[in-house]
Amino acid sequence: MIRSGSIFGMPEQASTVAPMVDLVYDVITWISIFFFVGIVGVMVYFMIKYRRRSHVAYTEGPTHNTPLEVTWTIIPLILVIGIFYVGLQGYVHMTTPPENAYEIQVTAQRWFWTFNYPNGASETDVLHVPVGKPVKLIMRSDDVIHSLFIPAFRVKQDVVPGRRTQLWFEATREGDFDLFCTEYCGQQHSQMVGRVMVYDPDEFEVIIEESARWITEVPDEKLHLAGTQFYNQCASCHTLDGSKLIAPSFKETHDLFASGGTRKLADGSTVIVDEAYIRNSIMNPLDDVVDTYRSSMPPGIGTRLGERKVEAMVRFLMRLDETAPDGQLLAITRQELTKASEEPEGE
Amino acid sequence: MTTIDTSKPIPDPAGPAEDNYLTHSSGIMSWLGTLDHKRIGVMYLVSILSAFFVAGMFALLIRTELMMPGEDFLTQDQYNIMFTLHGAIMVFLVIIPSVPASLGNFVLPIMLGAKDVAFPRLNLMSYYLWVIGAIFAVSSIFLGGVDTGWTLYVPYSTRTDAAMGGIIPVATAVFILGFSSIFTGLNFIVTIHRLRPPGMTWFKMPLFLWSIYATGILQVMATPVIGITVVLLMIERTFGLGIFDPSLGGDPVLFQHFFWFYSHPAVYIMILPAMGIVSELIAVHSHRHIFGYRFIAFSSVAIAIFSFLVWGHHMFLSAQSPLINVVFSAITFSVAIPSAVKVFNWLATLYKGSISLNTPMLYGLSFIFMFGIGGLTGLHLGTLATDIHLHDTYFVVAHFHYVMMGSALIGMLGGLHHWWPKMTGRMYTEFWGRIACGLIFVGFNVTFFTQFVLGSLGMPRRYQDYTGPGWSETTTALYHKYHFVSTMGSYIMALGFFITAAYLIHSLFRGRKAPANPWGGRSLEWQCSSPPPHDNFSSAPHVGDCYDFSVLEWDEQEQGYHWRTDLKHEPGEA
Repeated sequence: MIRSGSIFGMPEQASTVAPMVDLVYDVITWISIFFFVGIVGVMVYFMIKYRRRSHVAYTEGPTHNTPLEVTWTIIPLILVIGIFYVGLQGYVHMTTPPENAYEIQVTAQRWFWTFNYPNGASETDVLHVPVGKPVKLIMRSDDVIHSLFIPAFRVKQDVVPGRRTQLWFEATREGDFDLFCTEYCGQQHSQMVGRVMVYDPDEFEVIIEESARWITEVPDEKLHLAGTQFYNQCASCHTLDGSKLIAPSFKETHDLFASGGTRKLADGSTVIVDEAYIRNSIMNPLDDVVDTYRSSMPPGIGTRLGERKVEAMVRFLMRLDETAPDGQLLAITRQELTKASEEPEGE
Repeated sequence: MTTIDTSKPIPDPAGPAEDNYLTHSSGIMSWLGTLDHKRIGVMYLVSILSAFFVAGMFALLIRTELMMPGEDFLTQDQYNIMFTLHGAIMVFLVIIPSVPASLGNFVLPIMLGAKDVAFPRLNLMSYYLWVIGAIFAVSSIFLGGVDTGWTLYVPYSTRTDAAMGGIIPVATAVFILGFSSIFTGLNFIVTIHRLRPPGMTWFKMPLFLWSIYATGILQVMATPVIGITVVLLMIERTFGLGIFDPSLGGDPVLFQHFFWFYSHPAVYIMILPAMGIVSELIAVHSHRHIFGYRFIAFSSVAIAIFSFLVWGHHMFLSAQSPLINVVFSAITFSVAIPSAVKVFNWLATLYKGSISLNTPMLYGLSFIFMFGIGGLTGLHLGTLATDIHLHDTYFVVAHFHYVMMGSALIGMLGGLHHWWPKMTGRMYTEFWGRIACGLIFVGFNVTFFTQFVLGSLGMPRRYQDYTGPGWSETTTALYHKYHFVSTMGSYIMALGFFITAAYLIHSLFRGRKAPANPWGGRSLEWQCSSPPPHDNFSSAPHVGDCYDFSVLEWDEQEQGYHWRTDLKHEPGEA
């Protein structure tokens, strides 16, 4: 069950800055409640006490009172200066990452997140972090503006193409938290969500070690099945069942490959759908844009995946009838994929 | 004490109401080609309310889609088009022109004591620019749709592989509507400077005119920036000239600076006229001299000036420098002061008044309630530490709806009910007026107050759905509760609006004939007949302290107020 960080409905607190942010939020809310209740209370009191009882056209009363008006100008002024200062202090802390922060490279693309770790591990839509250690995210976008938001950590930062932005946090407890894109980025903006998994530091090391290593442990004859583990990077644009999104369905590509067919390109030429074509479309997506589609796949996905994962993806596509029979992604775990490597026939 | 002498004919300064602006000439062309500010105001009103209906229906579709998790009946693309058009139409076609161009056009010259605005032809042209802009905006639906959000952020909007094709007509609409707005503002500034009759000094002007004047300055000074910005956007999208898109060598944050340099003052283009209306409503319907006239007048000007200096608070997370964020946060808080001053002055005006709880006043009091919430939650967003969490969530959605709808539009509705008898010569059914106001008030708060909680719980804005592969079940269930309540509120609000439309239309045909001064207003528009004659006044009105109600008395027979019979006044005398 979610524990609220504030009686005014903040999410659970799971980072070092969250209690501070919630305190500022509560203080401002209490000040607001004080003024709101005062204003509406006085208003309702007057509404009742001075409600119209006759058609008198005119009522006597003060038309101004300079000391009073100056007072109610000065008091809010002092209050807002106070609020500003409190907010400023928190902000300085939130935008100054500690020197020793653990760095994770983040790439935002329509409509998924890729997290790259110093050890070469790469994950899509799942951010693994250790508890109790400052983590710095260095973020880039390959297409439009996105924004990374982790409510439980109270952190958010726009991810702007053409520049690097960063944010930092230190998780205070283990668990599984929401991660949202909060800058409108098009069709599937509401599905550009991921999970933040917070682990004990030792467990975290194991997780990202395994994350970096598993693909190398998949035996060649099972490599095509490894694509099932990161097809989610492709899913927002390429379906498995032949239905069209903003890019050709993998099924269509696979069927053309299987029948040795050709494909018409946007520039009018045709290309044979073979292994080289598939590989090149992952590595250099702008080379062969399929007719009637627009070039929306950013270059760089192939490089970030790495050679072995690209190889896995190419094979995944070529053998789609096995990896996604009937348009359904084959359910298989990483353990099942790598287990074979310990057996003799995997050598 | 005055006694009512019904045997004596009432010396109505407006004279007998034989010919009025509605009957002065007839035929469709007498409307479409009119230079009469009153008729232009009415045409604006009808057009703006039609646009409000369309964008309101979009809002209901959005809320209905969000009521339950999962894709119910709008696809992602349809949803994105809906929220974009809802925002764009509400902002550019409804709220920005609502008060100045419709009610302002109608009452400004009369309040001032003028026969018309300074440039009647420019006035008509600004109306037709609005119509052309509306056609462009709506045509975008048939020209590929537009899914950028009303903010048109780059590089999404300029990349042909991202945003839908309808962006060019919408950008064109924004450009054209900008000129419509500039012309209206310019016209009003010149009118207030040049057409005040003898005796109408700056500090005798009703506060509504002060607010319209401050608005005019914003319209003239800020709007050109959005015009240039959308032109640059269209150039980049059409010709691939790198201005904003980093892949072409541009800077996307530059666009946000340009956009908010207009769109923040635009918030005050929306709210200032409504504040002006509320100043009138509170004073007239409590029969009390407005408290602190000069503080209210200067606070309008102060808000107008500050509004140019705070645009960066929309961009705390845009990757602009932290130092700039700090500066913008500091200046932002300065806007709180004149806003608070206005609220306190309105409250003081109520003190010892004779407060009528009729429909216009209920809207005026609702304004104070909702502007209180909208204004105070601005503190959460202006504060850097909390804005980081709340930015681009439903908290922001709730906040700006409280300001733009709960305040600006509610103020407009108050003004509409206040001046409806003057504009149409008919009284609406007070009973249904109060019922509808109550429904809108309750519905609005149910819809949007829940969204503050939803936002602080982290629900991002512009999401078509809150379930799917990456979503946790707990989060979906949590957000669902609030979305459901919010949608219910929107239906209550819609009911209130339909009732309003029904009794207002009914009043046109069956309404009791309105007296010249049903509420006991002292400003000049209440001295001419309802509806006003073609030239506004059949005799020169009494200019004076527009909040000195001691010169009025109730007339039972007329069911309205008129000039006290025991007072002898020369025209132009205070």
